[in-house]
Amino acid sequence: MIALVAVMGVGLGLTGCKPKSPINGESTSAASGSAAEEVYVAPGEKDDYYLFTSGGFSGQLGVYGLPSGRMLRQIPIFSQHAENGWGYSEESKPMLMTSYGFIPWDDSHHPKLSQTEGKQDGRWLFINGNNTPRIARIDLKTFRTVEIIEIPNSSGNHSSPFPTENTEYVVAGTRFAVPMGDNRDVAINTYKENFKGMISYISVDKESGHMDVAFQILLPGFDYDLSHAGKGPSHGWSFFTTYNTEESHTMKEVNASQRDKDFLTAINWKLAEQLVAEGKFEEYGGRPYYVNRWDEATHSAVSTQKTGTKVLDASKYPGLVYFLPCPKSPHGVDVNPTGEFIVASGKLAATLPVFQFSKIQEAIANNDFDGDVNGIPILKYESVIAGEVAKPGLGPLHTEFDDKGFAYTSMFVSSEIVKWNVATREVVDRIPTYYSIGHLCVPAGDSKNPTGKYVIALNKITKDRYLPTGPELTQSAQLIDISGDKMRMLLDFPTIGEPHYAQACPASLLTENQVRIYPIEENNHPYAAKGEKETSVERKGNEVHIKMTTIRSHFAPDNIEGIKVGDKVYWHITNLEQDWDIPHGFAVQGAANSELLVMPGETATLLWEPKEAGVVSFYCSDFCSALHQEMQGYVRVSPANSNVPLTWSLNQTAE
Amino acid sequence: MAIGISALLLIAVYFLPVWSIQLWAPQYPEGIEMLIWLNRLSGDVEIINGLNHYIGMKHISEDMFPELALLPYGMVLLIVFGLFVAWRGTKFWLNAWTLLLVLSAVGLLIDMYQWGYDYGHNLDPKAAIQVPNMAYQPPLLGYKLLLNFGAYSIPDTGGWIFAAVIGTAVIFWAKETIIKRKQHA
Amino acid sequence: MQKITQILGILILGFILQSCSGSGTTTENTTTPVGKPDAEEGGAPDASGKVSPDYAIKEVELTIPLEAGMVEEGKTISEMKCTSCHSLAENRLVGPGWKGITTRRKPEWIMNMITNVDMMLAEDEEAQKMLEECLVRMPNQNITVAESRSILEFMRHNDGVQ
Repeated sequence: MIALVAVMGVGLGLTGCKPKSPINGESTSAASGSAAEEVYVAPGEKDDYYLFTSGGFSGQLGVYGLPSGRMLRQIPIFSQHAENGWGYSEESKPMLMTSYGFIPWDDSHHPKLSQTEGKQDGRWLFINGNNTPRIARIDLKTFRTVEIIEIPNSSGNHSSPFPTENTEYVVAGTRFAVPMGDNRDVAINTYKENFKGMISYISVDKESGHMDVAFQILLPGFDYDLSHAGKGPSHGWSFFTTYNTEESHTMKEVNASQRDKDFLTAINWKLAEQLVAEGKFEEYGGRPYYVNRWDEATHSAVSTQKTGTKVLDASKYPGLVYFLPCPKSPHGVDVNPTGEFIVASGKLAATLPVFQFSKIQEAIANNDFDGDVNGIPILKYESVIAGEVAKPGLGPLHTEFDDKGFAYTSMFVSSEIVKWNVATREVVDRIPTYYSIGHLCVPAGDSKNPTGKYVIALNKITKDRYLPTGPELTQSAQLIDISGDKMRMLLDFPTIGEPHYAQACPASLLTENQVRIYPIEENNHPYAAKGEKETSVERKGNEVHIKMTTIRSHFAPDNIEGIKVGDKVYWHITNLEQDWDIPHGFAVQGAANSELLVMPGETATLLWEPKEAGVVSFYCSDFCSALHQEMQGYVRVSPANSNVPLTWSLNQTAE
Repeated sequence: MAIGISALLLIAVYFLPVWSIQLWAPQYPEGIEMLIWLNRLSGDVEIINGLNHYIGMKHISEDMFPELALLPYGMVLLIVFGLFVAWRGTKFWLNAWTLLLVLSAVGLLIDMYQWGYDYGHNLDPKAAIQVPNMAYQPPLLGYKLLLNFGAYSIPDTGGWIFAAVIGTAVIFWAKETIIKRKQHA
Repeated sequence: MQKITQILGILILGFILQSCSGSGTTTENTTTPVGKPDAEEGGAPDASGKVSPDYAIKEVELTIPLEAGMVEEGKTISEMKCTSCHSLAENRLVGPGWKGITTRRKPEWIMNMITNVDMMLAEDEEAQKMLEECLVRMPNQNITVAESRSILEFMRHNDGVQ
């Protein structure tokens, strides 16, 4: 009997010995003692770096300070944003126009800062819209989206925008091959015959930043996943990871994962430029595309509809495109600071190949080919590879670089960052991330002069890292110190949407050029009231245009009568303030869109369609002064057939 | 007396998990657990299936284990036999009881090893992730690292009761055999 | 080498900015205009970043007769940036009416108030008294010293100076 109890006791004892979490050890915090000090930015102090994270499926862009991880702003891009009227105000609606009509959402993936000579120049940030193929440009003087261009003949715009060394171009590639041209109504199982890939080069004007579709390159119907442009010696080339070389159209999870090697597609865009100049392109008509530009002078966007692009069929022009065999379903492709080495990450592969640009050129010169696809040569893997990083980790996705010759590769499956030496391709350190890292970002880590202080892990899952908020949890990034031999976890911080990819730059690159106000003298909005004297209410049929001003703390006019049920009332609000950080808001009861947030010197317009007679109030929605609560007004709405005359006033009281 | 009680204790095994397999990965800090009962499986079986299909492992289901249909009857036989041994109380029947228990435990472990070998090696050639020369056989007992997952295999409460019953039988057998022999000497 | 000069550049820039913020303790909320100096002549912050009292306008020369061009310019600017809150008569709207202001206040005081309201509200007792009365800080309307001189001319015109 005693024996029975004793044995059971031993058993229970053993059960208690279960390892708690043998992978992560005792603590998953992993932050060292001094971490708090290293990320602490005292009240009133400012961060050292700007971090721009894409909002992923939010369609927006998050702006953070580093090292604190404090969120500074959300910049609306592809999605309507009621907070400041983006996509609701009459001026901003055209920014979201596409050939499919007004689209209030997209999936924003890859922010990319503009570069000059391969270095961050602090002018613009580009970001792709995945679902309705588009590229947006954000002006870093105002932190506003100032241009959105739609990409024609494209689908699943994932390998985008990835600018060239001097931001000559940003690119856009098809992650989903689709039928091109006029007859797009084909059977899906005719994929191999009818589906094509297309890589678009979007030119960026050096001065204005204006984008235009320069030319497009027609390619086999593979999935063009991610890209980076060459720099230094490899300037003039772009590289695109390419999977589904199986050309399957169903159950891609399995059917697009069969080959041991897919491709890295190398495009000689300088040659493409030359071919286009020689007129060797085919004109594609087809669907129109939109270019939407924000005009700082009129504080309004204008949509232009365009048709027709110049297309180069890659199989017809030798030397334009080469395929480099690349281990299993490559995802990220990254070019090191010298421009000589190109790292492609086969997400299902056990090794990490490092291609060498000079070897690629040599192989091309020697016709060192291993067959072709529709006339596009496949280079020999052994001839173009500098070497492989052996057993780097599981599920390698993306690589960025520091200033000391090291590369940092994110591992999705093993949820870690692996640091390795680009010259020797030896792994020197690894650190777990929480959890399932996708992209990663070293400030300027994709440029010719990377920094060496931090790497930011952009994670997909947060699970138990934060206070729970129901089924939908926060998204998160992590700040890791890379200044020493060992990487050190410093900070977790929540982000908006999915922090898909990020760019970071020293704060000083942007702070000097910040616009604080829009000079009211330069306001060319057709309905601007530059001073209360210019305010008015005008009727054109059933359209009523109210030119109204705001200044602390009143609207002019603030009493309006003579509006009728069924009118379309346009509130054109001009903010007369000329001091930094004094926006005024405008909200009117029953408005079916949003509020307006009007910056100093700016004019913005809200459309309001009153549905019933009565007196309706409007007010300032952004706390502006001690008398903000007094900043309000009334508008009288009368029946459609009434004779109430149109009048407006400020500070007039009945005798 | 103890043999009788221990045989009756085996009834509890019907109501408790016998074996537990646990998995951890960085993104699963809380762990994933699969429990094996006499007649069924429970725990995060579907999560495990979801993960393992990437590397081409078979879909785990109860149909995969004909053992689950047989084990409950086998246990009835053991309990009845144990009570019979307690009633007879002779050395011979004690030897037989001990041997039977040990053999059934060894048999079950061999069976489990064979399943684990097949599960870890017999992979779908069309799987998305294929790591050369990699097999994913789970550990029979104890801890093993499989790619990004740490796997831990250990008896659960029911299993420990079974082990305790075996232990009790062995101790009695040892007492009867070795100690008595010494006394004779 | 290029890198070093760049770093040096950033360092020096940082140093200047830092010394700027140092003097901010004397004038609360002083903003140093960046990239868009709002004073083309005189009164611009010097390299040490001191805003007060060097920045302040100390002496204004008044001319008779008035300069018609300046009156006209002053009127245009006022209508855009001032008359939302200031009437040309004696009555107060948000801020005090302008009638008689050129006899009540020194020309320097008026121009300092227009161009550097933050400094005035921090240091000048008269300005502080006005804030207590009106409750709204007079906004910085981003007006240059030259423009404020025109506004002053318009005010003199409004007060009947020929």
